Amino acid sequence: MKRFVIAVCLSLPLALAGQVIVDTPLSARLTGYDIDAILEPDSHVVSGDMRAWWVNNSAQPVRDVMMHMYLNAFSSNKSTFARGGRWSPAGDDGWGWVRIESMVDAKGQDLTDSMRYVSPDDGNEYDRTVLQVVLPEPVQPGDTLVLKISFESKLPSPIVRTGYADDFHFVAQWFPKFGVYETAGTRDRESDGWNCHQFHPSSEFYSNHSVYNVTVKLPEEYVVGSGGMFMEELALGEGMKKVVWRAEDIVDFAWTAWPGYQVMTRNWRDVDITFLASEKGIRKADQQFEAVIYALEYLDDRVGPYPWPHLTFVDPPMSGQGAGGMEYTTLFTTSGGGLFPSFIRMPEMVTIHEFGHAYFMGILASNEFEEPWIDEGINSYWEQRIVDDSYGDGYGLLRLPFIKLSDADQGRMVYVSSRSQTISTNDLPSWMYPHGTYSMMSYNKAATWLHTLEGIITTETMDNVFREYYRRWAFRHPSGRDFIAVVNDVVRSEHGNRFGEDMNWFFDQVLYGHEVCDYMVSGITSNKIRSYSGVIDGDSVTYVKSDRKSDTLYLSRVSLERPGGLILPVEVLIGFDDGSEIIETWDGKAAWKDFEYTGTSKAVWVKVDPDDKIDLDVNRVNNSWSSDQEFPAARRMAKKFIFLMQIMISLITV
Amino acid sequence: MALLRVLKKGAAAAALSYKQLLVIWVVSLIMILFVSFPLRVMLNAVFGNSMAVMRLTDGFDAGLLGDVGKPFLYLISAASTGGLLLLLAGFLLYTFFAGGLFASYTTAWGGLKMTAFIRESARNFLPFLKVNLLILLIIAGYTLIVLGIPVAARMALAKGSMPEGGSMILFYSIWLLGLPLWLFVADASRRWIAATGSDKAFRAMGAGFRALKERFWVSYGTVLLILIINALFIFISFWYLACSIPEKGGLIFLFLIVTQIMFFIRLFMKAWRYASVCEAVR
Ligand SMILES: [Zn+2]
Repeated sequence: MKRFVIAVCLSLPLALAGQVIVDTPLSARLTGYDIDAILEPDSHVVSGDMRAWWVNNSAQPVRDVMMHMYLNAFSSNKSTFARGGRWSPAGDDGWGWVRIESMVDAKGQDLTDSMRYVSPDDGNEYDRTVLQVVLPEPVQPGDTLVLKISFESKLPSPIVRTGYADDFHFVAQWFPKFGVYETAGTRDRESDGWNCHQFHPSSEFYSNHSVYNVTVKLPEEYVVGSGGMFMEELALGEGMKKVVWRAEDIVDFAWTAWPGYQVMTRNWRDVDITFLASEKGIRKADQQFEAVIYALEYLDDRVGPYPWPHLTFVDPPMSGQGAGGMEYTTLFTTSGGGLFPSFIRMPEMVTIHEFGHAYFMGILASNEFEEPWIDEGINSYWEQRIVDDSYGDGYGLLRLPFIKLSDADQGRMVYVSSRSQTISTNDLPSWMYPHGTYSMMSYNKAATWLHTLEGIITTETMDNVFREYYRRWAFRHPSGRDFIAVVNDVVRSEHGNRFGEDMNWFFDQVLYGHEVCDYMVSGITSNKIRSYSGVIDGDSVTYVKSDRKSDTLYLSRVSLERPGGLILPVEVLIGFDDGSEIIETWDGKAAWKDFEYTGTSKAVWVKVDPDDKIDLDVNRVNNSWSSDQEFPAARRMAKKFIFLMQIMISLITV
Repeated sequence: MALLRVLKKGAAAAALSYKQLLVIWVVSLIMILFVSFPLRVMLNAVFGNSMAVMRLTDGFDAGLLGDVGKPFLYLISAASTGGLLLLLAGFLLYTFFAGGLFASYTTAWGGLKMTAFIRESARNFLPFLKVNLLILLIIAGYTLIVLGIPVAARMALAKGSMPEGGSMILFYSIWLLGLPLWLFVADASRRWIAATGSDKAFRAMGAGFRALKERFWVSYGTVLLILIINALFIFISFWYLACSIPEKGGLIFLFLIVTQIMFFIRLFMKAWRYASVCEAVR
């Protein structure tokens, strides 16, 4: 805490120089960037002069800095990004790169000779996405390092998150950017050091919350948008203009320029929301604004406030859809290009997801490289809740008279139908997931077990977990362990020991383990038993007549099994032929369990997890059993098939 | 009004052939049951005693797909293969029975005996099949010209994006207004085959086009009117198919009865067109 205060005080002169967006700094603001850039649309080059600063908030002098040089991922087909994502350029003009033309420190000392590329993740000598600069003299604790850098960024094509397509430009990951200097204890770190990963096909975010002052000069016909707050636009003459933005406490700054953009704005409370899209995309503006406002309200209510007064989102044109579905906190991109019919809420789902990242990774700035689940998993979980709650439970993603699909089911489906469910634990760094399981594990499995956690601890407690997570970790760098600590504290305070000492047993299985969860009903048997109760009295056996009128009793046995290795407590609902029901709980610890009932009625059906709380169960078909196999749905489907075929045949014959 | 007289007489002739229509209905129902019954058995095998089928209660819940996995895909592929085979078999079956129907409306004025109906169906089958295929080819080509070219042209102009609904309505309307011409030719050609006993498909088509030229407005108007009524009816059928979700045994049975009556009406309306065209050409 103390160190935090010192850091803030030291950076005050810089940070407060133009304190204009939020009343007080939201974060420690250890880094900041003032960038003057020019876009040359014909060559797709952005040249920039940048003043970047970094505050050493550790107790040790620091002798080097590490910077992301993301665009170099597109400079060679041997880069880690290109190899992993199978990216290749669209012709000779498709390569992308970022070059540092000069780098000097505050004293004017040239640092270009002390730069070298390193590959901390995979040792790939062809990867040039991480730059290490050895400083002539160490940065002392509390001191601020200022670097003046001239760089040239060539945008790649085809677009993968960043790049150009004809005159459409999406300028992301475009400037040399500091890694995060972590002090011992941060995210379970043992010693101080830089955390700066290479650009991987599946992850790119881990940054300090920064202040950005960005000026871009470009031809005046270009319509622009960015993650910053619009400050001013000046005509420069000769067909050029200058746009000035400022952003505070965000983890990344991206911008876009295209002459074809249509722009619409709306307000939600004090937030100005700007939507940029093609002529086609803008027609879906109502649905898009509705979706983003759903998400704003939902997360503001259940997690914490959205603290900025501005938010911009973009639906790229068809040629630029490669930039779609990305998140830069106060700027995000959706997708769909206005082409989806309204009963498929795919574009709205993307909008809600990408906005959600403003919280999960933007405000709660976790490390996406090392713990993708806490970024994509948590965000997918919230996206699914928002989509399904806003558009109707069960119908979130697809709503037709005869077919429906909820967003949560869509996510769960990817996990339960994967054949690689047990391939690894769920806590791997993004690039370590084998056999293309990164997104299934980080998005779908993680969201599925978060829904399961909600099922166990209740929705109310889950919301309180996130309120507390926000309260403790907003504008800091939480790790998975930090999140679990919040869960444990909140569950303990709301439920005591109801689920045990803590919830570690849950995370040990779902996050740090790799077993699957599967409960199944093996069947129900009901046998008539004699209505006389036997009494064994010494050597002689006497029978005592039952005083009940009916003389038929049934012994019903409900047999359950747990084929999966994951152990969770589960509810079991049993129905009898007289219409009565009994709810039981099974701790799931043994491999099987029988429930036995003696009475005048027979058990006729059973449902394990009747309220579908355990989303992790990989097969819900075997969760229930009924002695009556004549289900109306099956009969109705058969009748519908007959009529459909009759009509179709009559249609294809003249 | 010549048009109304033709429609009235056509309806009367179609009504008189109700026995033949009943035969068509029964035979096609049995044919479909041959596919739907095994599908039903497969569905039961996939779900066994599971109550998960209940998730299909208010429409198909695609979320089930993940749980059922492979067997569901088998079920869907069996249903689609079965459906395609049924369409093919149904096409042949209807072509066959159209032979008997046209014979009814040309020779005996609706009152063919059942044996004669089957005999005439068999006799007319091959030339009818040729006419049907030719007409389908013509309609396909016509669709390509009226709908395909504008779409392709606009896609080329608009750099690969689909033209919007609004401007396409014009082309759909043109397409729909042209459709009765081809249906009339198909019907008049088949009437010619049934009436003359010839098996020359191309000559029959020639006769069909000639008939269209001779009484153009009555011919066109007859088919257009019946087509519009049919289109509305088919729209209602699909709407009912999609939106009706009977829950209980009795209601499901009622659904079956209602849909079968609807289908019989659909058969009748097709016969009405055949009979009306025969009447118009007479
Ligand atoms: Zn995401």
